[in-house]
Amino acid sequence: MNKKGQMKIQQMAFMLIAVTLLFVFVGIFFIKIMLSEVNQSAESLEEKNALLTVARLADSPEFSCGSAFGTSKSNCVDFDKVMSLSEISDRYSSFWGVEGINIRRIYPAIEGVCTTENYPDCGEINLFSEEGVGVSNFISLCRKSEQGNVCDVARITVYYGGGDE
Amino acid sequence: MLLELQFITEEEMNKRGQEEIVGFALIIIIVAVALLFLFSFYIRGNDEESAESYEVDSFLQSVLYYTTDCENFLGNFSVQELISECKSEERCSDERDSCEILNQTLREISGSSWQFGSDRPVSGYVFNVSVGGLELVSVQEGVQEGNFRNALQSVNSRGDSIEVSFRVYFK
Repeated sequence: MNKKGQMKIQQMAFMLIAVTLLFVFVGIFFIKIMLSEVNQSAESLEEKNALLTVARLADSPEFSCGSAFGTSKSNCVDFDKVMSLSEISDRYSSFWGVEGINIRRIYPAIEGVCTTENYPDCGEINLFSEEGVGVSNFISLCRKSEQGNVCDVARITVYYGGGDE
Repeated sequence: MLLELQFITEEEMNKRGQEEIVGFALIIIIVAVALLFLFSFYIRGNDEESAESYEVDSFLQSVLYYTTDCENFLGNFSVQELISECKSEERCSDERDSCEILNQTLREISGSSWQFGSDRPVSGYVFNVSVGGLELVSVQEGVQEGNFRNALQSVNSRGDSIEVSFRVYFK
């Protein structure tokens, strides 16, 4: 009888160990999956936040095309406005809370920083500085010309200083 | 049957019980391992990750607004307008084929914006334009494998339902 009881207890113990191990493995597996999904979501959200901040800047009245080039366009920057702004950029250095803004023409690619002498046959405009971490996004860069409205593909990069001021 | 039971000894009953318990435990373990395998394959899926990308979406928008050098008496066409011209098999004012210009423009813009190569993170891209479900233009460059980000835009231009999609592949 004693041996019988001992045997039954042993069997019960093995069964409990096996079931516990099963639940532990399954639990670890699910936690690993959930954590990796959370990491991916966090990275994706961070990227989207950064890009939306750039978009907000591009759609601000000082940059955006508004309805000046036909129908209202989003992610459209008025080249003429930005060129005028670059000449008085010192007054706006702390207006947007960024370290610097750079607009570079991607297509057609033209080299050279824009000045009053070479505008609009130039490649990029720098506002403030280019220090800090940059986040960029594609924009339409539009201007008025003798042929009418002309829009190019460009990239706007916003630089954040980070750290304490 | 009762007579048969009388001939089963106590030792045999213990052995049977032990065998049944061990068998039950083995079944649980095997089922658990099999479930883990199935879950791992289900979760892994294929190696490609796709994500709607705001950056690619912005790129598509800016391409559609780009002013091409194909013009008529009203002025230069944007890419969006040029797609409609290409669908109607129209020519530019200088007699160039609108579809050829569209193809060349999309290829050059994509090449300038998403430079790919062995030393770059981008491995390739695919640019598709379809009107009314029919493929009009397709530009493919590089290696189209692995992780990708894509964007799709549906626009109406001159009564045509245009679908423009761009997919960029990363290493």
